[in-house]
Amino acid sequence: MAEREKSEKFVVPIGPQHPALKEPGHFEFTVDGEVVTNATARLGFVHRGMEKGAESRTWTQDLYLMERVCGICSHVHAMAFVLGVEKLANVQAPPRAQAIRELVAELERIHSHMLWLGVAAHEGGFDTLFMFSWRDRETVMDLLETISGNRVNYSANVLGGVKVDINDRQKDELLRGMDFLEERTQHYLKVVTEDDTFLGRTRNIGVMSFDEATLLGAIGPTGRASGVLRDVRVDSPYAGYPDFPVNIVTATAGDLEARFVVRIKELFESYRLVREIVEKIPPGDLTTKIPRRIPEGETVSRVEAPRGELFYFIKSNGTDKPERVKVRTPSLCNWASVLTTAIGHKLADMPMILAGIDPCFSCNDRMVVLKEPDGQSVWDWEKLRQYGIEYYK
Amino acid sequence: MNVTFPPLLALLLFPGGIFLLTSGLIFEYIDRKLIARYQNRIGPRWFQPLADMVKLLAKEEVIPTGTIKALFIALPIVALAAALTAGLSVPLFGFKPVFSYPGDLIVTLYLLSLMTLCIGLAGANTEDRFSIVGATRALTQLFSYEAPFLLALLGPAIALGTWNINEINQGAGQNLWFILSQPIGFLAALIGLMGKLELPPFDAPEAETEIVAGALTEYSGRGFALFKIGRDVELVIGLTLIASFYLGGFSSPLDFLWKTMVLLFITAALQSLFARLRIDQTVGLWWRIGAILVLVQMLMIIVGSSLSPFVGRLFGG
Repeated sequence: MAEREKSEKFVVPIGPQHPALKEPGHFEFTVDGEVVTNATARLGFVHRGMEKGAESRTWTQDLYLMERVCGICSHVHAMAFVLGVEKLANVQAPPRAQAIRELVAELERIHSHMLWLGVAAHEGGFDTLFMFSWRDRETVMDLLETISGNRVNYSANVLGGVKVDINDRQKDELLRGMDFLEERTQHYLKVVTEDDTFLGRTRNIGVMSFDEATLLGAIGPTGRASGVLRDVRVDSPYAGYPDFPVNIVTATAGDLEARFVVRIKELFESYRLVREIVEKIPPGDLTTKIPRRIPEGETVSRVEAPRGELFYFIKSNGTDKPERVKVRTPSLCNWASVLTTAIGHKLADMPMILAGIDPCFSCNDRMVVLKEPDGQSVWDWEKLRQYGIEYYK
Repeated sequence: MNVTFPPLLALLLFPGGIFLLTSGLIFEYIDRKLIARYQNRIGPRWFQPLADMVKLLAKEEVIPTGTIKALFIALPIVALAAALTAGLSVPLFGFKPVFSYPGDLIVTLYLLSLMTLCIGLAGANTEDRFSIVGATRALTQLFSYEAPFLLALLGPAIALGTWNINEINQGAGQNLWFILSQPIGFLAALIGLMGKLELPPFDAPEAETEIVAGALTEYSGRGFALFKIGRDVELVIGLTLIASFYLGGFSSPLDFLWKTMVLLFITAALQSLFARLRIDQTVGLWWRIGAILVLVQMLMIIVGSSLSPFVGRLFGG
């Protein structure tokens, strides 16, 4: 009996349905007492077939589809797609449109980072910070609503420009909102760097050195917290970023505290950018003409989402529908860092380490492989289609 | 207030029994509402704890496979019974305790610990992994706060030279309040009570982001309701004990009300101020800081009260 217990591994499953993570992902942590000795992840619970769906829709319809890849960073998806298509069509959106794209992207980053701050605090059992940061996040949600009419899928982009403009009243509201948020964010920076119980949960937890981060390909704020100088907004500026450049924010510690600090400091950078754009937005048109059929060719479009580099590969065959759209979201690149840093930590640290990369599940589920019960043969598209028809008959 | 109730009435209606259960629900409501307000939320309506209780009691209780059935059913009942029994020797609502005898302080404290033991057993009884991890943590936490909590409540008892709760209650009002002469003991008792009730930041045994509901994951319906109300009752009794020992005792129900409410305000603030402690941090906090401070204070009380009556008075003797 004792020997059996010894050889049996004690596995704590987290997910797919779990109160801590609002999206479905399954993790298995092998624990020895409280210490985690192995970690595995299984994704793919929210595969929605969007890439395939994009092939049967027109370019304009795809814009709406792509905006719905992710609920938190909807604008960057649409922006990555639009920039790619514009590059294929050899069309340049007017400067005012590019500035508004950047403005909405930065507002979205603010809302995403504040949402993350709350979620990460909740994972650590600090519900007061969760409630406060989400209350303050409402400010930026309201600002997005004043600009676009929507809180989540702003739908600011069209092929060849943007469909929303900002007037003087909105500029005033933006400036006032930024002042309020800046003051609050100062307070949060103080909390995450000075509160003793919170530091007990973040300092020297989930440490990822620069070498590890490079090896595992960590990107976005997760990588920047380990000193990886990689930010698409700086490396290859797009949309309005050449005119309104952003300063890269990094830290060297690589622990959870550094990830908090990097994201909060990026908030200050976003406030500065929003103010600058509001003050110096170039006048001019919002859209330019773009052909209905996009010329044949293929392109890569990269933007910096709140979670890291978002990568689009778009291939056109000269018709009004794309031949292939491939999306690689930032969360996918950061999973390896979670599974590696988890080992050796306490089970109680797992939710915070998981949340530390700001994971987004629904946007990184790309592929489902269906196997026969024998585990050998793999289903092909035709068989899957037949199965679906039979199932819903 | 020296009112004697007929035993059956005292046991079932007032101040034990139904009235104690009801006040447990009211205290839970005030606690939840206060935390909600501290966190800038609106919080529950006044009947929410009662509604939760009615709903849970009416629900089907699922007994998972792999458990000892009798134990699974008996544990919540034992836990609630222990909490209600503990209420009989404390000066609830400022009235004289129903059953008072020498040494009832120790019995009451052990009855209060029975709840945690039952939760630990309940977790170990099931095969669920979250329950087992939760049970381990609950029992680990018990060993960390129990000794300092006990010592903290013994401080006034030693200073007054009696182990009877009622006598301590009366004696506490006649001297300098113990919160002033034994501040460390007061803090240790209050924070120990939070650990006992698994309130944040000591809620590692039921951390919902890691192990769902901890030891009570498999409990639903009636069993869960009994554990929940048992904890509410413990909250009332724990606050009564600390208020009567450290805040100068009770002489009237009004006294009881304002003193326990002050304590509830403090615990609610503490609950919303901190991030959850890991179980190793909890143990470290209690044994590295809590236990040593309480022991030092204990030594001061003993030395002080034996040196001279004058110095003894200074330390609350």
